[in-house]
Amino acid sequence: MPTTEKHILNRLYVIAGLIFVFAVAVVVKLVSIQTVDGDKYRELASERTVKNFTIEPNRGNLYSDDGSLLATSVAKYDIRFDALAPNSENFEKHIKPLSDSMSVMFGKSSSYYQNLFRKARATKNRYMLLSRNLGYTDYIRVKSFPLFNLGPYKGGIIVEQETKREYPLGKIAKRSIGYDRLSNPVGLEGAFNQYLEGKEGHRLKQKIAKGQWKPITDYNEVEPQDGYDVVSTIDVNIQDIAHHALLAQLEKYKADHGCVVVMDVESGEVKAISNLGRTENGKYYEKLNYAVGESHEPGSTFKLMSVIAALEDKVVDTNYVVDTEKGILTFYNRYKVRDSKWGGYGKISLSEAFERSSNTGIVKVIDKFYGDDPKRFVNRLYNMRLNEPLGLAIKGEGEPFIPHPNDKERWSGIALPWMAYGYGVQMTPLQILTFYNAIANNGVMVKPRLIKEVKEWNRTVMKFDKEVINSSICSQETIDKVKALLKNVVEKDHGTGHKLYSPNFSMAGKTGTAQKNYAAKDRQKLQYISSFAGFFPADSPKYSCIVVIHEPDKSVGIYGADVSGPVFKRVAQKIYTDSPVIDTVKDLEKPNPSVEEKYRAYYSKVQNHSNIIPDVEGMSGMDAVSILENLGVKVKVVGNGKVRKQSVKSGSKINKGQTIVLQLS
Amino acid sequence: MQQLFKNIKGDKAIWAVVCLLALFSFLPIYSASTNLVYVVGNGTTIGHLIKHAALLFIGLFIIYGVHKIPYRYFRALSIIAMPVVILLLLITLAQGTTIGGANASRWIRIPFVGISFQTSTLAALVLLIHVARYLTKIKDKKVAFKETLLPLWLPVFVVLSLILPANFSTTAIIFGMVMLLCFIGGYPLKYLMSIIGAGIVCLALFVLTAKAFPGLFPNRVDTWISRVESFMDDADTESDYQIEKAKIAIATGGVVGLGAGKSVMKNFLPQSTSDFIYAIIVEEYGLVGALTLVFLYLLLLFRIVVVAHKAEDVFGKLLVLAVGLPIIFQAFINMAVAVELFPVTGQTLPLISSGGTSIWMTCLAIGVILSVSAKREEEVVEASAKATQKNKVEENPLEVLSEQL
Repeated sequence: MPTTEKHILNRLYVIAGLIFVFAVAVVVKLVSIQTVDGDKYRELASERTVKNFTIEPNRGNLYSDDGSLLATSVAKYDIRFDALAPNSENFEKHIKPLSDSMSVMFGKSSSYYQNLFRKARATKNRYMLLSRNLGYTDYIRVKSFPLFNLGPYKGGIIVEQETKREYPLGKIAKRSIGYDRLSNPVGLEGAFNQYLEGKEGHRLKQKIAKGQWKPITDYNEVEPQDGYDVVSTIDVNIQDIAHHALLAQLEKYKADHGCVVVMDVESGEVKAISNLGRTENGKYYEKLNYAVGESHEPGSTFKLMSVIAALEDKVVDTNYVVDTEKGILTFYNRYKVRDSKWGGYGKISLSEAFERSSNTGIVKVIDKFYGDDPKRFVNRLYNMRLNEPLGLAIKGEGEPFIPHPNDKERWSGIALPWMAYGYGVQMTPLQILTFYNAIANNGVMVKPRLIKEVKEWNRTVMKFDKEVINSSICSQETIDKVKALLKNVVEKDHGTGHKLYSPNFSMAGKTGTAQKNYAAKDRQKLQYISSFAGFFPADSPKYSCIVVIHEPDKSVGIYGADVSGPVFKRVAQKIYTDSPVIDTVKDLEKPNPSVEEKYRAYYSKVQNHSNIIPDVEGMSGMDAVSILENLGVKVKVVGNGKVRKQSVKSGSKINKGQTIVLQLS
Repeated sequence: MQQLFKNIKGDKAIWAVVCLLALFSFLPIYSASTNLVYVVGNGTTIGHLIKHAALLFIGLFIIYGVHKIPYRYFRALSIIAMPVVILLLLITLAQGTTIGGANASRWIRIPFVGISFQTSTLAALVLLIHVARYLTKIKDKKVAFKETLLPLWLPVFVVLSLILPANFSTTAIIFGMVMLLCFIGGYPLKYLMSIIGAGIVCLALFVLTAKAFPGLFPNRVDTWISRVESFMDDADTESDYQIEKAKIAIATGGVVGLGAGKSVMKNFLPQSTSDFIYAIIVEEYGLVGALTLVFLYLLLLFRIVVVAHKAEDVFGKLLVLAVGLPIIFQAFINMAVAVELFPVTGQTLPLISSGGTSIWMTCLAIGVILSVSAKREEEVVEASAKATQKNKVEENPLEVLSEQL
């Protein structure tokens, strides 16, 4: 095998050439990865290693009308313990004092905590829960405990911070304030979510390893924008009163549910809104927003609308005498309208029919004057916007319903008489209240408002002003008449609301006791809706209020005056005693003329009389004493009030130490 | 400094390429060491940098020391080293370190120094020098197959069978290198074919034995099969995962790369400081860095060919190729793995990857090459001295040209 050097080199060139080809192949493959498959792998890279982290904005606060907090976001802390983090020396040294501290703070015995810690260490528990939802001060306190004060690495304390929504009022107005949840937020929180929630920020982060992420840039790609604060119209005091009054009455009557709304007459601001529903075990809580969402047949409270329509059309006057027909009116030989009083009230005036809430009386009047032309009556109601929803910011407003004679499907021969006393029509409590409020507000129908202002710190972002739906729903004359009727409901002995009468404060309103499930064959299923709508004080109304209670226990009571009225009364009474009207001095700078006059007289006497007795008759005793004593005279005073007589005459010379007697009266 | 340069002999281009690669290696090593520190939880980044610097410094010292040895001594050295290497391989295999249940006894710890030593790399070097020596020995005669069996193939068989249980890819590469060297050295092709056939039969026997009696001896047969399978098919496996990460790194690198230290995938690629360092280099330095590296290795290949060309005798030529070609092959195999031209083998990138043995053995090989080229220089100097004496005035310009190739 003769091998020459040339032989070797030739073969070497072949091999070197092959290696070069291999190198070229590597480069070609590399370029193809970068270009042909490049997009795919680059996408994979960002998918695997880059993530867009959301930075939650801080949710805005919700305030009541006077600035007290209704809802706010606070930091809450969960404390956990990594039982393996402390070394044995530290663990043994601090476990006793730590358990003592825990015992003092959380109540369980020290040995309990010692056991807990030892067990966690034995089982190598590195994430043992100690306490949830601690406030900031409690968290700081726990952090300062022995062992824990060594920090997370030596002491094993694990702190997790969470932002929680807090409701300082607790269950009061919970449903109306609502809550912030991902799907279908409710109440004020839900209605004003767009202002409260703020905007999410974004930050791109790159995965480093083992679930660690590092920000790619020094700044956030999108800065989070904190939510705005919302100032609502809710008055915490009135809300509290309304809530508890309603709760007491619901419990007393074991009713299914109920609501109460208090509204400021002039501005339409809702001062309180409480909705309580019964749970299976008989407790009540803010379940659904009945006041806003539940349309129902109003019953007798609707008689106000009927009467106003009749008065406005001037078909009758309040002194029109109607025969209540022994308490039963029959239509088409079948359909009967009954009065709650057996045998009826005989022949009474329209006003008395209203005050007594005579079904037959009101129905007869409406049927008599509108029976030929029901359109006229319905159009009158439509004119007063009773058929339109209020357009509230809160979601879920119930639709009102009043059938029109043109709507053949829903109109029938008995629609008019039924409508006259509040059947066959549907309205929500808030819609009825808005109407009653318009009466209290002399015909100006204002939209109920739950929100006053949207703020960012101290800057007003949006202001919600009074919104007038209808500047005059009827003539002032009609208003004055029905106001008197409403007042009489409570004041007159025969009024259905007379039980609520109190000489100490005045109120006006209308009771309502509507039947529910009356179409059912089973009489047991017949239920009632007791309501009371009105305003107070009767003469110059400040607040309007409606109370609706569904399905009170029939054995306890059903009538509006018994079931709902007391809530109304309690609210009115409490607002009077708990929130007294305070007289304020409007302009302190502006001088009071009479005081000025007295002061001038006093001043001139002091100036002019240095050695003679001045004339102090007619001055107030206090002024006279101070002038005379300053002159060095002893003064004796008899009686109270102004100086009637002075024992030493004016103009006489002063002797030092002289005594002068002033007779006051 | 002057003194130092005066003492440096041999091909200056090889010196330059080696130093360039060594200097460059600090960048990816330092960058990718975050993987070891923060993911694996091993040491500090500065620690890894200092360790790498120390290894390289010792490596350069090895090159310097070895290239001072006249290459004729390597003949004798390979004969002496052979039994030592076999002993070391036995020790390595015997201690049986396992990785995830599979035999991975590739390293032995050098006592006192505390550095792991991959014996197979040293064995490869010694074996190839041995083969080069034998081929030189038989260059002038016609050999029968039988008479080569004992002196040539027995050592090859013993060494390879000791490496095989723990490291198939290294075994295959060493086998390939031996074949290559025999081919270049003029060993008859028909004999080579029989050896390749025998090699395949041996491998098949080994795999079958391992499969039939799994508990008989520790081996990595399952790992090999799964790696080859994952290269062939589309199913997702651990190797695919690594390759995919490497490709993501290459794709994100683009033309100019993300910049030094900005690699993202270094945290997800296992072995990002050794086996997959090329992918990290492409990610950080882009196509530019990738091509530069390819160019440097090709330049090294070119200089090795030049040195082989100039070597005055057959042993010189074969020796240079025996130690030089594996470096180049290893480099391109490493790159080929990263771009998925080759199954995952666990070959390091010579002079770039971290890892003491890899660097030192490469340095040893470089030292041998430089030793051959330094000998040639001496001769040229002597020859030109004679030439100058002969024709005092005139210098032949062709003499210088001829040195270029």
